[in-house]
Amino acid sequence: MTTSVTSPLDRRRHLTGMAFVTPTLLVITAILVYPILQSIVLSFGTSSLDGSEPYQFVGLKHYAALAQTERFWNALGVTLTFTALSIPLELIMGIGLAVLLNESFRGKGIARLAVLFPWALPTALNTLMWRWMYNTDYGLFNAVALQSGVVDRPINWLGDETLAMLSMVVVAVWKTSSFMALIILAGLQSIPRELYEAGRMDGMTRWQEFREITLPLLKGPILVALIIRSMDALRTFELPFNLTDGGPVTATESLSLYAYKVMFDFIEFNFGAAIVVVQFLVIFAMSLIYILTLRNKD
Amino acid sequence: MKPTAIALATAAMLTAVPAMAEDLVLSIGSRGYGPAVERNLARYAEVNPDVSIEWNKVSDVPGETRKLYVTGLSAKSPTPDVYALDVIWAGEFAQRGWLEPLGGLLADETIAAFNPSLLTASTVDGKVHALPLYTDGIHFFYRSDLLEKYGLDVPKTWEEVLEASKTITEGEKNPQFYGFVSMWAKIEGLFMNWLAFTNGNGGGFYDADGNVAVNSPANIAATQYMVDLLHEHRYAPDSILNMRPDDARTLFQQGRAAFLMVQGFVHAPLSADDSPVAGKFDFARIPYFEGNEDANTTTMGGWFLGINPNSENKEAAAEFLTHFTAYEQQLTAAVEDNRAPTIPAVYDDPKMSEAEVLAKFGKNYDLGVVRPSAGTGSNYPKVSEIMQLAVTNALHRQKTVEDALNDAQAEIEAVLAD
Repeated sequence: MTTSVTSPLDRRRHLTGMAFVTPTLLVITAILVYPILQSIVLSFGTSSLDGSEPYQFVGLKHYAALAQTERFWNALGVTLTFTALSIPLELIMGIGLAVLLNESFRGKGIARLAVLFPWALPTALNTLMWRWMYNTDYGLFNAVALQSGVVDRPINWLGDETLAMLSMVVVAVWKTSSFMALIILAGLQSIPRELYEAGRMDGMTRWQEFREITLPLLKGPILVALIIRSMDALRTFELPFNLTDGGPVTATESLSLYAYKVMFDFIEFNFGAAIVVVQFLVIFAMSLIYILTLRNKD
Repeated sequence: MKPTAIALATAAMLTAVPAMAEDLVLSIGSRGYGPAVERNLARYAEVNPDVSIEWNKVSDVPGETRKLYVTGLSAKSPTPDVYALDVIWAGEFAQRGWLEPLGGLLADETIAAFNPSLLTASTVDGKVHALPLYTDGIHFFYRSDLLEKYGLDVPKTWEEVLEASKTITEGEKNPQFYGFVSMWAKIEGLFMNWLAFTNGNGGGFYDADGNVAVNSPANIAATQYMVDLLHEHRYAPDSILNMRPDDARTLFQQGRAAFLMVQGFVHAPLSADDSPVAGKFDFARIPYFEGNEDANTTTMGGWFLGINPNSENKEAAAEFLTHFTAYEQQLTAAVEDNRAPTIPAVYDDPKMSEAEVLAKFGKNYDLGVVRPSAGTGSNYPKVSEIMQLAVTNALHRQKTVEDALNDAQAEIEAVLAD
């Protein structure tokens, strides 16, 4: 590349290019890199909010305290459980929806729109709606369950530790399967028709078509969808915040919710920053695992 | 405009130092104090035309407003000059230096007129840091028609509540009907509830010497009563553990509960024309355990007004604060907007006959108790969280009451020693 900028014209072009890119780079540095570095710096020291006490480096003190905090391990467990339960279900639902929407049938446009609806609405809004439906005393689910005689006592959906987690997973799957479907649908539409025609000539069944042609060619889109959704699930905040506020007790308190409480309720930004950095590492590790496992088979 | 006001306004305009118009910024939500804010501002403008007040309408969601204040005040922003804050922030904000002590700025008798229980919430190091603007406490609502139907008196003690719940739930023969509902989700309201129960048993957050004593025998017994009410007697629904004030209110309003223990603001929706329980309910003070008739059991909340220490115009801010929280303003807010006054003398005003419900609330406020937010200061959010978790653990029977409160005691001691 060094040879390409030797001539004056090339050099000028190169400079023009740099001039165009620099403002964007600066903005990205300011709004992305700076906060990330700042979080890491905060997590290794003590400082006061108003700067009245100077920053003091304390090494791994906050991380050591974190390792001793039961509530942190609980939040980590909750976050991983939620991710492990919701992502596979979302993926299965997403592939199913995408295959369905890829078929041609009357009203396909409307069906595609309808599927996208849950994803397009703000999570906080959806979640409040679900909270009403889950309500023990006047919610939809218990009204149906009680009137049909399935149960004789109302089910305490959000008040039981296991049920609360499952209820949260259901909302996540309902809401974000359509996002998975959208990305996978785009992938489906880029698969050449000829492959299926060839397959049909060879006498493949629909299931074989799906396994041998569709799925392998969807690996890219699935990887993208998995990474984006897993990152989302690992940082889930609005969902537990609005549905259960982390309860009952702390059964649905995710890492983000815990970090939020530490920072804004207890005003402990250094300790909170340590939680966020750990969360960052978890997400980073998860992304690496996905990329390595799904790419190596190529 | 009254002639005197016009005269005053004219006089003020003539005597005002020209070109030195003072500007103040007031931060308060638009719903909490309702139309009273606008009226108070108009009244103030009549007598102080040279001071222009900018109303910064902050969110009515406390958490959001708190975030806004934390960022602004910690950065030593000179605005707002005067701001409204939740009762439980007062101690913390005072300790962090985000509230100007009012002693030097306001007349002593101005401060002394306010409800003493409420004032303790903003008193740090013996100095009052904010004035209560309006209050709301928890009350004991009951279905008067059902008590009459079963020939029962209004329960005064928790023991009587059990008996009455038994008679009514057995008589109603409806599995969807409950004796008692309240806000026992893991929220501030749960801590308020716990303080009402424990104070009613001669206990409370502190012992007589002012030391933290959350695991005292009286507190353990009172907390055990809460657990038994739910799990042994089953007079409360399981869902009480996720109920916020309005969830409990809705169940009561649907006619599915005999007793309701939440803040006074539910009185308006309960007595609305389309409410199934309108005219069939009334309220009393929070019950006490036998032998504790004098206990202060009305846990009070409410909003305060304070002055930013970095304000560039503290004298004007103090004058504005005095006017905004004064007797006349509180009386009008009570009669017209149903906001409970924080100056006890207002309740005795003849005009309060137009606000019967508030006047009756006022009697309960004489038995007021506030959360320990002044004493624990900047540690209050942690202390409250510890208490909410402890009581929730006990109510979910994840821990025995004794273990839960012993653990809480140890954790609070550690937090306060830090």
